[in-house]
Amino acid sequence: MSMNRRQLLAATGALIAAPHVARADARPRVVIIGGGAGGATAAKYIAKDSGGKIDVTLIEPSRTFVTCFHSNLYLGGFKDMKAITHSYEALKNHGVKVIHSRVAMIDRENKRVELDDSSHQAYDRLIVAPGIDLKYDSVPGWGQAFEEVMPHAWKAGKQTEILRAKLDAVPDGGTIVMIAPPNPYRCPPGPYERVSMMAYRLQQAGKKKARIVIIDPKESFSKQGLFQEGWEKHYPGMVEWLGPKIHDGLKSVDPKTGTVVTGFETYTNAALVNVIPAQMAGKIARDAKLVNETGYCPIKPETMQSAIDPLIYVIGDAAIAGDMPKSAFAANSQAKVAAMMIRGELIGARTFPARYANTCWSLISPNNTVKVGGSYGPKDGRIASVETFVSKVGETDAQRKEQQDENTGWYAGITADMFQ
Amino acid sequence: MKARLVPCLLVLAALAAPSARAEEKVASVLKGDRDLGEYLSSECVTCHQPSGKQVGAIPVIIGWPEDQFVAVMHSFKRRERDNQVMQTMASRLSDEEMAALAAYFGSLKPGVKN
Repeated sequence: MSMNRRQLLAATGALIAAPHVARADARPRVVIIGGGAGGATAAKYIAKDSGGKIDVTLIEPSRTFVTCFHSNLYLGGFKDMKAITHSYEALKNHGVKVIHSRVAMIDRENKRVELDDSSHQAYDRLIVAPGIDLKYDSVPGWGQAFEEVMPHAWKAGKQTEILRAKLDAVPDGGTIVMIAPPNPYRCPPGPYERVSMMAYRLQQAGKKKARIVIIDPKESFSKQGLFQEGWEKHYPGMVEWLGPKIHDGLKSVDPKTGTVVTGFETYTNAALVNVIPAQMAGKIARDAKLVNETGYCPIKPETMQSAIDPLIYVIGDAAIAGDMPKSAFAANSQAKVAAMMIRGELIGARTFPARYANTCWSLISPNNTVKVGGSYGPKDGRIASVETFVSKVGETDAQRKEQQDENTGWYAGITADMFQ
Repeated sequence: MKARLVPCLLVLAALAAPSARAEEKVASVLKGDRDLGEYLSSECVTCHQPSGKQVGAIPVIIGWPEDQFVAVMHSFKRRERDNQVMQTMASRLSDEEMAALAAYFGSLKPGVKN
């Protein structure tokens, strides 16, 4: 193993900077906040690849993790809750300490994380991976108090179950209104895959007269041609997408009456309103002032290091990752770059130039899956696309089936990569 | 027409031959850097399980002969094999990087905790 000058200095620095208080365990310490696709992956890779030379602690309030990815497949009835729920247990086999607690604050000055129970965790490097928070005030008339009446289901778990229960209660001929989010948000094709799964489930229940109206603040959306082709083919007359020029802006919602008011039309007595609001980096990142005016965290594209605090790395949905979308695949990819760079800094491990990748598969109907993705790298101070691809309109049934089989394999692969 | 086509094909064959030979050379001469391969492999294992478990349409890629691994990656890079994800992943890999990946994945054995 060779060490370049920078790594040697960093490793030496870490030793000198290490504990003010004598500790029995002199290993450098990495604390990771958030056990999602970014945080769980980073924790595992740092522990696994450092061979025990780094003390790795993952802080995550939930005992289990329900993946947001494939939660639309739960909605459509293709997966049960158990199939998208994962345990942190196996991370311990790699040497990761998992603390199920909530972080109260990050004390950047003293390099420690304060927990809700008043204990704290000191760090030499910190990874912040809290995902997104919802902007509850971004939809007039809606708010956290109404999230069970008009669910968002943009964080998977109980909300996903509420959404499916409400979907199943929609009568034939009923109207569902989806309020789609503005950019940037978690999982760009997610709202439209969700609409596909809603339409599928309604159709399966024989409710072919139900319709889904999408009120979108965006002029266009991810995989638009592919989704619209699929809706026309599989769910004719059931899905109506309205861009901002057509609906003339969302004015308000009324959770008590199921009303949605736009510039051009008022939808009354909607059987289900799914509000997916605007989003921002998780609170812990905002409180620690790791965000800029966009509400997300600027990072150095070569390392995923915070542009604001060099001892902190921000990965996943909370980060400003240039051309990369906010997706589990992207978070997993960024986690591996951060893990390698941290090993380089703390124990002088070999590092290589950062490279990133992403692919998002979306299910439109059984055996009709489309994909979008790309490779990415640092360029001109940001993460830029190297090459991108997207499925084509008019692909054969066999190709779409093959892509669904890839989607199935990817889910098994990434969850094994995160948790096993 | 036929007479004209034959020399064209011969020229094409002649052009193609050195690249195929070069590939064999790459596989046999370039000794893969396993550390580099391990880092690059992190991009692959988001889908391809290093334990050798196959799920859905994501094939097992561990334990392959290195020359075969390199040949398959080149076929994606040249867009002879048809899969957008794999073409995109392969297109930025250099010969050295392919050899490194081949060495790394080639060294993994099924049924072992990799």
